[in-house]
Amino acid sequence: MLNIPCPFCGQRNESEFAYGGPVKPDRPQPDKVSNDQWVDYLTQVPNPLGPVEERWWHVKGCGTWLTIWRDTRTHDIVEEPGDAG
Amino acid sequence: MPYDVSIERLQLFSLFDLKGPRQGLTDWAGDVLNHLPKAPNQLSREDGVELCHTGANRWLLRAEIGMETDLEAKLRLETAPPEISIVKISDTMTFFRVTGEDAIQVMSIGCPLDLHADAFAAQAVSFTEFFNCRALVLRCRGGFDVAVEQSFADMIADYLDRATI
Repeated sequence: MLNIPCPFCGQRNESEFAYGGPVKPDRPQPDKVSNDQWVDYLTQVPNPLGPVEERWWHVKGCGTWLTIWRDTRTHDIVEEPGDAG
Repeated sequence: MPYDVSIERLQLFSLFDLKGPRQGLTDWAGDVLNHLPKAPNQLSREDGVELCHTGANRWLLRAEIGMETDLEAKLRLETAPPEISIVKISDTMTFFRVTGEDAIQVMSIGCPLDLHADAFAAQAVSFTEFFNCRALVLRCRGGFDVAVEQSFADMIADYLDRATI
């Protein structure tokens, strides 16, 4: 179980959050990239062995969307979100 | 051995969901909203009106149901400016009051928050999880108030009954 740092609420249990998936690269212009690059963008999900940038939604708490860096080998959160606005 | 706890399903409260910048809300309805708490997940009480800071630019107003008409008139919901939102949600949430010596033990069965007094003080309030539902938790005299979406209330009442056996 992760303890996820919410910028508004502080450390909260993972069960209060919904996983929003890894942050994908910026959407390329389909007519400016090759077919292979376009298919890669559509179908490949970042899944590195190591830190991955992820989105989480504090759906049962304050409702904030936040971005963290989580190490897939250790589940350590290696970079926390900034302060809430 | 059963828990030393008392569980009560409370009558409706007057509830208003407030969204928008603090300044916009206080400019619009300063006589009611003049004590909006600044710190996250904190509550302030004044003249029977409780204001809970539940999210960034988001507050919840709670008061006795008898104050609803008066509050509606003061908050002027329909004519609020576009940068703020004030919505009456009185009938969308059901409150349970969990009190007694073992109230914190029963709460800890359904809620992952640390509810000890040093971590969750008298003025603390927060949306969190309660038996897998989104719930508002705050302290009351001798225990805790928990609010869940009203459609889950019967289920939560059943869970609380089972948890306290």
